Amino acid sequence: MENPSQPTPGATPRSLAGRIFDILSGFGLATILLLLLGLLTWFATLEQVESGLYPTLNKYFHWKSVFLIPELKGKLVPLPLPGGYWVGVVLLVNLTLGGVIRIRKGWKQAGNLISHLGIIFILVAGGVAHHFSERGNMAIREGQNRDAAEDYFEHVVEVAEIQNGAAGSIHVIRGKDLSDLSAGNSRLFRLPNLPFDLEIGGYLKNASPVAVTERAPDRGELIADGYYLMPRPDEKNAEANTAGCYARIVRRDGSKSEPVILAGASFHPFSVKHGGRLFTIDMRKRLWPMPFTVRLDEFTAQFHPGTMKPAKFISRITRIENGGEAKVTIQMNEPMRYEGLTFFQASYGPPGAAPGQKMYSVFEVVKNPADRWPEYGLYVAAFGMLVTFLTKLGSHLAGSPRKNRHV
Amino acid sequence: MNGRFSCLLACVAAFCACEEKKEIVVTETRRATTRDDAPKLFATSDERFRDARPAPVKAETPDGWLALPASQFRLLNYRFGESGMGETWVSISAGSVLENVNRWLRQFGAAPIDQDGLEKLRRVPIAGHNGTWVEAAGEYASGMGAAPKPGFALAGVVASINGSILTVKMVGPKSEVEAAKATLESFAKSLQMAD
Repeated sequence: MENPSQPTPGATPRSLAGRIFDILSGFGLATILLLLLGLLTWFATLEQVESGLYPTLNKYFHWKSVFLIPELKGKLVPLPLPGGYWVGVVLLVNLTLGGVIRIRKGWKQAGNLISHLGIIFILVAGGVAHHFSERGNMAIREGQNRDAAEDYFEHVVEVAEIQNGAAGSIHVIRGKDLSDLSAGNSRLFRLPNLPFDLEIGGYLKNASPVAVTERAPDRGELIADGYYLMPRPDEKNAEANTAGCYARIVRRDGSKSEPVILAGASFHPFSVKHGGRLFTIDMRKRLWPMPFTVRLDEFTAQFHPGTMKPAKFISRITRIENGGEAKVTIQMNEPMRYEGLTFFQASYGPPGAAPGQKMYSVFEVVKNPADRWPEYGLYVAAFGMLVTFLTKLGSHLAGSPRKNRHV
Repeated sequence: MNGRFSCLLACVAAFCACEEKKEIVVTETRRATTRDDAPKLFATSDERFRDARPAPVKAETPDGWLALPASQFRLLNYRFGESGMGETWVSISAGSVLENVNRWLRQFGAAPIDQDGLEKLRRVPIAGHNGTWVEAAGEYASGMGAAPKPGFALAGVVASINGSILTVKMVGPKSEVEAAKATLESFAKSLQMAD
């Protein structure tokens, strides 16, 4: 077997670039990377039980996580590991260099080449999904229409002008511009199309508005209209966090209003009249308008006898778009794919609903440009393996000598 | 020279990029959706943060009691007494009168009673109906994860009104509950069910 690290006598020594290429394209690196991915998956699976799924996924697989130290049952495991995203990137490089560029070319290697290309496609799909996909959920009652999904995690501040009792265009201040405004920090958000701006500060990732008559503030919290924001520890399920912040309306003459509490846990927006115009200001999970409307016609849930283990959830919906209607059934493992969006049957409620009680269905809505790429990649990889198998079988049946054992 | 200048420019750009933005111009908008239908305008803070709806029962706050915001399980909510630990609240509960009485008794470690025992308890007027007067004393364990409170007492009324269980419950230091019993009884009598 050829070993590039052992130059044959008399041969020119490998250059540094050549040696780096050999390492990056080698089986050894591929083995180490696959072992690391296995370890990361194992630790992440264990850690998410205590730390919650979202924080654990971020810790182990977000691109910002270059190195991490696993933590099990509250104790650090003294084993620094590279972030899963970067292990995937190096594996992509390794497969490209070793499995596509370095691999021997010829009909007998065609299957291997195809398989490697399939796996590369799956890794690229993971990267595209990581950077460009959006996820949200849509809860909808029987008979109700919905045309927006809600982000799982991002809290935004929205300012809307109300005309004839309804909101017009809604200005959105994104969560990434709010999350660094913890105690002592504030930021002015200019709203050029409105007669005022907003100054926002005191952001808390998870907080409840509490009445001072119910519990006196003990950390000098700012009080607004008899309430203050009480910080709460992060929820294990990150989607259950309800952010909060304080806002002041900054008029065009520079004067400021009294502080107002904006909270993800509020039921109604804050209303303000300014120059004869009416506005609402609210903090909520980011809404994501859909290009069509969904009406839930009927939801049925079936359970395995004597258990609460789901056997089947079926949502019969009507998709309404441009005056036309289409009947669609969404159920477990049978999502609706339409206009680049995928609707998965995620959950339902209310728990323990009585017979005849109106139920609601919850869809997970995913916009992922690489939605079906892993599936296609899998087909390609499987096809490559089939070609390899048939090539080997053909060679064997033809009695050809097995000259080349290595790739 | 050009190289140094480019380097300096890059450093300045990096520094500016790291600097915290004091102002941001908001350019992102979205259209209104079905989730934005009919917003409740000029909601009070109680309505915004508690979704406070008119309670199905009304009352005048007795002298010396402090009215608190309603909560999910407390339609009317009060504090009383010098210690600040005395609480009175009005609720609509599930179950029967007997089940509610026994739940209260259990919170004080008292033995549950049966239907005969219930009928022997004193009857008092509440919201135009008759209710059962309940008393207990000892160590109060609310069962809500709070530490048990010794030296507490309970006085309250449970009534079945139009198919609902209306409860008026007073809990606090024993001496303060004893002193406030008469007020509680008058308060229960004065309650009015909303239309």
